[in-house]
Amino acid sequence: MPSAPSVVRIHLFAAAREAVGASVLVWALPARGMPAEALVRRLAAEHPKLRRTLRASRFVRNGEYLSDLKARIRPGDEFAVHPPYGGG
Amino acid sequence: MSVRLTRRPLSVSAAVAELDRTGLGGVVVFVGRVRPDRSARGRVVALEYEADLAMARRQLAVLERSARRRFAAERAVVWHRLGTLGVGEISVIIGAAGAHRAPAFDATRYLIEELKRSVPIWKTDRVRPGRRRRRRPSPRRERSSG
Repeated sequence: MPSAPSVVRIHLFAAAREAVGASVLVWALPARGMPAEALVRRLAAEHPKLRRTLRASRFVRNGEYLSDLKARIRPGDEFAVHPPYGGG
Repeated sequence: MSVRLTRRPLSVSAAVAELDRTGLGGVVVFVGRVRPDRSARGRVVALEYEADLAMARRQLAVLERSARRRFAAERAVVWHRLGTLGVGEISVIIGAAGAHRAPAFDATRYLIEELKRSVPIWKTDRVRPGRRRRRRPSPRRERSSG
């Protein structure tokens, strides 16, 4: 039987990717997950260069914007950091 | 409906052909290109465009439908290039066609403004280091006309 996922994939774009030096981070999560705000705090703690970008970014869980950072991120979720957009 | 996110060069004539239908009196096409410019780090020689692909495609399709409904434009194109683009290359083509000029102009303006505001696409300067030009602190200027 396949085991349940135990990680979250964190996708980083543009300034966020450049600050971290990677486009995807894979983090182990407890089975109950963690609030998005805690995940963002951990990102800032582990990657100080990312802090300024995080303050201006939107956050996405499984392709949907998170309006409430108290929402839980669970194992198997895809989380993304979207710095301010710049198309055109 | 015509929405594209592509690493291939964009063609203005292909966009016009996509919009052009007998009976549509107004066709408007906006073309955004990479501008030669300077940043604090040197001369901009290219822009690198990237996107959150799944979300950007979905959002562009929503915008395209919304523009046609809102402004009674009968056809629209929203094409954006991804990857590394040199100065002068086309980064975006937006267009709309309607019975008259007003829906075509209004829909085109709406599409480019909303694309810049709400679609997860980013550009990063690639510069050639050189003599730095002192600049007064000001909001970051756009590097393309789009």
